[in-house]
Amino acid sequence: MNTVISTQDLCKKYGSQYAVDHVNLGIGNGRIIGLIGPNGAGKTTLLKAILGLTTFSGKLKVLGLDPRKDRDELMEQVSFIADVAVLPRWIRVSEAIDLVEGLHTRFSREKCTQLLSKTKIRMDSKVKQLSKGMVAQLHLALVMSIDAKLLVLDEPTLGLDIIYRKTFYTNLLNDYFDEERTIIITTHQVEEIEHILSDLIFIRDGKIVLNSTMEEVQQSYFELMAPPESVDAARQLKPLNERTLFGKHIFLFQGIASALLEPLGEVRTPNVADLFVAVMGED
Amino acid sequence: MNTSWSITKLKVLMRREYWENRGAFRNTPAILGLITVAFMLMGLVIKVRFDNEGYTFREAMRMFALQSEVDRGYQVTQSMMAMSGFFLMVMSVVIFFYLLGSLYDDRKDKSILFWKSLPASDALTITSKLFSAMFVIPLIFWVFLVATEVIMMVIGGLMIWTADQNPWTLAFGPAQPLKAWGLVLAGWITNSFWMLPLYAWLLLVSSKAPRVPMLFAILPPIVLAVLQAWIGFLKTFQLQDNVLGITSKWIANSPAILAGQITGNSDSEHTVSVSLGMPVTSTFDHAPTISNMLDRLFSTHMLMGLVVTAVFLFITLWFRRRASDG
Repeated sequence: MNTVISTQDLCKKYGSQYAVDHVNLGIGNGRIIGLIGPNGAGKTTLLKAILGLTTFSGKLKVLGLDPRKDRDELMEQVSFIADVAVLPRWIRVSEAIDLVEGLHTRFSREKCTQLLSKTKIRMDSKVKQLSKGMVAQLHLALVMSIDAKLLVLDEPTLGLDIIYRKTFYTNLLNDYFDEERTIIITTHQVEEIEHILSDLIFIRDGKIVLNSTMEEVQQSYFELMAPPESVDAARQLKPLNERTLFGKHIFLFQGIASALLEPLGEVRTPNVADLFVAVMGED
Repeated sequence: MNTSWSITKLKVLMRREYWENRGAFRNTPAILGLITVAFMLMGLVIKVRFDNEGYTFREAMRMFALQSEVDRGYQVTQSMMAMSGFFLMVMSVVIFFYLLGSLYDDRKDKSILFWKSLPASDALTITSKLFSAMFVIPLIFWVFLVATEVIMMVIGGLMIWTADQNPWTLAFGPAQPLKAWGLVLAGWITNSFWMLPLYAWLLLVSSKAPRVPMLFAILPPIVLAVLQAWIGFLKTFQLQDNVLGITSKWIANSPAILAGQITGNSDSEHTVSVSLGMPVTSTFDHAPTISNMLDRLFSTHMLMGLVVTAVFLFITLWFRRRASDG
């Protein structure tokens, strides 16, 4: 495994408030990481630090480079989509392609036109004439045609309808991802990406509260759906979280063998959204 | 990173500036040329309607023909240069607003996040914007100026021809259009260097202003000027040079052909003469010659101007490196 991102006591303060609070991370290649956190948790700030878009204290290396000093060099190997609406509105599709081709050695015009041919986007359209979904498709087509080592997606599908979101992630997985690349995704629609993730990072108040692979999550977190008679027994095992759904009690456990839980009811792997609520609610 | 790759990227970035600002860079001088020609045609219509059988114009041409060939050539050449003053003024407005928005607009509409995702350094980005203001805009304006003047020569030639004179021997033969256009272009390009401190200031404001960059460009110098005047007055009881005074003198000393004067003792003997900048200061010679342009470029004034430019650009780069959306 090659280290793509490594941080040591990475901090970013706005006034006296930490947006990123002593973050230590090591991210290798060939991973798809979901960076999940509530609003204002520091996700975007952390990503901005990684992309050289903000200053910070502490140590941070991305592909061996310091993003503060070597942003332009770093961007040869890193792509990012910050938000669906950041393509300049005045630019024509053909101009955007010319531009990226002119600046990027690793850009394939062929791949880009091929990706765009599957959409309704026309070469002579201006970005301001495209719908929000088409802008996202265009941006994704541009980014997927760059042979980058790290792709950062910060809320890439915000405000798009479900069909666009589905194709967005399908294309990403089928036409782009391989074991050489790393993708970091933040989104509020966790349930849509959890099946493609290999790693999960939860962030709250600028601190990393969970950082593990999906396999680890599946091995150490269990959800128990207990009938009323086993509720007390379940509570004795100190669940992380308890909620009720249609009169059934649902408990979330960490680090307890599923064999212990199985006599008490139905045991399954929690989905990321439930895990998120449970871990974030824990204090 | 190697130099030739940087130059390739710079070209791409400058093309992007042109794409984004076609309206200002290309359409403005085109419209300006059209308006100029339209005015000339309107004058033509007035002549046809009110000038009885073209008598006045014919008489004017006859008087003009009485002057020596050298004088006639001189006047046509000077008039051609004088017209560039309008183009220069409009161009300066275009450059002013272009630079003021150049590092501001993308921060406002968040597209800076796209620009910063491309492997182009912030220094190269700033350079592309500065070079567009210094070279691309003047070159495009110059091409339209030349085109406009060629059209005007054709129309003017036809008018002279209808007044029973030979336009070639009367006006255009003795004139030196190439010299006029060459001097105008040389003046504009030297002016781009001369104006560097102002351009760099606009870039600096553009890179940091949270809103209304215009206000941030104009207000601090005014406040500083008032303070300077006040402190200076307290110290010496005299009004001394302040930043605004220095700036207006700086502009008056521009090496571009700006002011044209018409002098003459009778109605029929006008003499048009142009000067570099505004001939209101005595620091430099305002006669429109290449050596006077170079005189400004290789002056201690320019040297100080370059120091100021370097400081402003350094701060601009510092801001741009830290710039993000919002």
